[in-house]
Amino acid sequence: MFLPYSIVNPLMHIEVVRSLSLPGQIVVHEGEVVEPLQIVAEMTEPPVFQIINVARELGISPKKAARYLTVKVGATLSKGDVMASRGGWGGRVCQAPFKGTVTGYGRGRFLFEAQSRRVQLKALVPGRVARVWPDEQLVIQTQGAFIQGAWGNGKENYGVVQLVVRSARHALRAKRLDASVQGAIVVGGTCLDEEALEQALVMRVGGIIVGGVPVNLLPRLREVDFPVLATEGVGKIPMSTAVFKLLRSLAGREAAVSGRSRTGREVKRPYIVIPIPSDTGARAHPETPLEVGSRVRALRQPYLGMSGTVVSLPQGPVALKTGARLPGAEVDLDGEMVFLPFANLEMLL
Amino acid sequence: MADERSIESILVADCGTVTTKLLLLERVAREYRFVAQAQALTTIGDPWHDVSVGVAHAIENLEQITGRTLYANGKLLTPRDEKGGVDAFVVILSAPKPLRIVLAGLVREMSLKSARKALVSTYTRTEAILSREGSLRSPEEAWARTVRDLAPDIVFLVGGVDGGASRPVMELADAIALGTSMLEADHRPRLVYAGNAQLRSRITKLLGEITQVDVVDNVRPTVDTEYLGPAQELLEQIFVEERLQQTPGIETLISWSQLPPQPTATAFGRVVEYLWHRERNPDRGVLGVDLGTASTTVAACFEGRLYLSVQEQHGVAYGPLAWVEKHGVASLLRWLPEDLEEDQVMEFLYNREFHPWTVPQEPEELWIEHAIMREMLRGTLRAAYPTWDMGKAAPNQRAMLPRLDPLLISGCGLVHMPRPGQALLAVLDGLEPVGISTVLLDSNWAAPALGAIASIKPLAAASALESGTLAPLGTVISLVGKARPGDTVLRMKITYEDESVLNVEARYGELEIWPLLPGQSATLELKPQHRFDVGLGGFGKGGKIQALGGLVGLVVDARGRPLTLPKDPERRRKRLRRWIWDVGG
Repeated sequence: MFLPYSIVNPLMHIEVVRSLSLPGQIVVHEGEVVEPLQIVAEMTEPPVFQIINVARELGISPKKAARYLTVKVGATLSKGDVMASRGGWGGRVCQAPFKGTVTGYGRGRFLFEAQSRRVQLKALVPGRVARVWPDEQLVIQTQGAFIQGAWGNGKENYGVVQLVVRSARHALRAKRLDASVQGAIVVGGTCLDEEALEQALVMRVGGIIVGGVPVNLLPRLREVDFPVLATEGVGKIPMSTAVFKLLRSLAGREAAVSGRSRTGREVKRPYIVIPIPSDTGARAHPETPLEVGSRVRALRQPYLGMSGTVVSLPQGPVALKTGARLPGAEVDLDGEMVFLPFANLEMLL
Repeated sequence: MADERSIESILVADCGTVTTKLLLLERVAREYRFVAQAQALTTIGDPWHDVSVGVAHAIENLEQITGRTLYANGKLLTPRDEKGGVDAFVVILSAPKPLRIVLAGLVREMSLKSARKALVSTYTRTEAILSREGSLRSPEEAWARTVRDLAPDIVFLVGGVDGGASRPVMELADAIALGTSMLEADHRPRLVYAGNAQLRSRITKLLGEITQVDVVDNVRPTVDTEYLGPAQELLEQIFVEERLQQTPGIETLISWSQLPPQPTATAFGRVVEYLWHRERNPDRGVLGVDLGTASTTVAACFEGRLYLSVQEQHGVAYGPLAWVEKHGVASLLRWLPEDLEEDQVMEFLYNREFHPWTVPQEPEELWIEHAIMREMLRGTLRAAYPTWDMGKAAPNQRAMLPRLDPLLISGCGLVHMPRPGQALLAVLDGLEPVGISTVLLDSNWAAPALGAIASIKPLAAASALESGTLAPLGTVISLVGKARPGDTVLRMKITYEDESVLNVEARYGELEIWPLLPGQSATLELKPQHRFDVGLGGFGKGGKIQALGGLVGLVVDARGRPLTLPKDPERRRKRLRRWIWDVGG
């Protein structure tokens, strides 16, 4: 039987896909070695544009407008430059509303576009470019630890991992965030509060990793400019022991954190990559069958986020508190033996 | 595929957003029967990007259940031979993304309303509406920017009765042309035009050089008439071409089945249509609800005509967050029998989206899921209701449901309920049926699959439906009227098949359940109080009917219509606990 899975792996072969949101240019080539802050792709954001109704501005019919134009398609203009004018008594002018380029004309109207902003995409993880899809995306291969999270605030960064809590059950507190955390990827335990977030902003942390994020803080977390990643979900949820132990063992190393996430039909999960120079990392196999000894994590309350090992696979369904009877596994969750239905379990690869 | 006459075993793969279900149907003696069902996770997304992998996993599970060989060398064994296999294979899908639509039109209550009815007939999501209603000038820049920034799959342009308004429609077309032309050629939306017929050539000339233009009959040819059929057919065709046939891994499944893949909603609708044709009672409609993870399908059939409504973002996992953003979390809190904090419910909704395949383990989470189901059903029904032409089944009172019998309930949300009474209660609260209805639970998730089978072997689908593939929950009598809580509103004499008789009463505000087991039937003599309607011809009118038993039994919903919940939170919770208790906990 195959279960859904999350990767929480200390050393594996990692492939990170870096994608542009719109067609652009990939500026590295296959085989090239890249660094986290290196620009690997660029694109131009869609320009701000305005339709300028020359005919209406000059008070004439669209058919007559063409004779009063003072610029041509392709002209670059500054704000206030005259685009068309009608002299004489009661004459009028039509001016450029901002700095931009005339990109079209028809039926008495200009299409006027502002200069577009260039957007650059960094590699985020150090490694070798394995594949390139021109204009769209590239894959960077590396070796190291890989952890998939549940929620992210959409931001990305690269920094040194620094633990600021004693255990996975301790919350991230403001008082633990001093000047030493500047630029660091701070690892908390259960959760963080508003005070801790504000302190993290003051101390200019490089990112935050916690078990859960409070629901009332989500809008604020989306605004901050560093990545915030919840490994288990939304709410006060202790970080899975498997994740916490791995992060603790790798404290002091550099990590890439991507908080880009999406649910629904096209799931995108946030992740942490901690590069480790090695050639021995194997690929994760999503079709690893569940068996006694498999590492698993619980996905529903009251055990949400807890990880452990399968100790037995009982035959037939077992009754839950809700009255449902479902097949499942007996799991050792940090020393506590519990029955969990297969539907509420995921493999840790 | 084997010759239709020789088809004795049929396997259907129903690839949902999260779960892929397999249904095996076989001929046993002269009947086709449901033999086994298996499931696995859908593998349309990361890391597989191949929907056939999930089907193969599910086949492996089915082989374990049945002890038969169905799959070898990376292929389904079809047609059947001495090694095993099946005679036919059909695939239906709801897993692909819906078509992203920008709707453009003139008048909200006319062409735009008709267009929306056409759009909900298949898997679409309307992301923006372009209309200048209410403003004197056409916001052409905003329209063009919307098209450019959203880069939808389709711009659906409607407006103007045939021979009517032209300038405002052309203004919309101009802006669409501008927005479309600013996109890279392979990102440009397809334009579907279903407006003023006189403008077809101008629209085609204007947009035809920029993108693909499809022209269909006007959805609103005159002020008083609506003509949705051609637009609905085209939208479904586009969904099949651009989504189903582009699903990663679908070519493998097609090579096994030699039949084109079908949308799940279409297949589900076919079953509802069949159930209506079985009775052919013009006084009643048939309603089917398929409550899924990402969308909910409502299929209603009146006078032989099917009305299909697919509501995206009305699923039990992908939908509630958007719902509470629009309607507030109070819309869910009101259905909870226990006092839970808003944040607790919101946390649940987020985490449910992360793990949509999971099931509740704690009663509190079960109640939240119950609340979600009720609201999703209400929302979907509200959107579907205006699309129905109910004919003789139309209700006497506005905004009430018409007479519906049977009511078919399907989908992971409802089928996963630990007790059948809980599924029934969610449906009674969410749909508020009126009159007398038999409620059928699609406990094996077979209904869409049977609809798909009907496309190759109608006899097999009909035979399986008649042989108990759908589990009856019982007969529900829902009274319309108002009284004081505790007042007797219905007297009923139940005569069982063994001639035993039970005389009972139903009191206002209560849900009453009397025993009537699956497979049993009873004769009911109904005498409603003069201010109550049980669906036998008006207020106070009673009569004799035959009622079928089910997993819950004979249910009288005497809570009145529309269902109102006490405003006081503690009283409301007490009432909800009572109703849950009444249906079996």
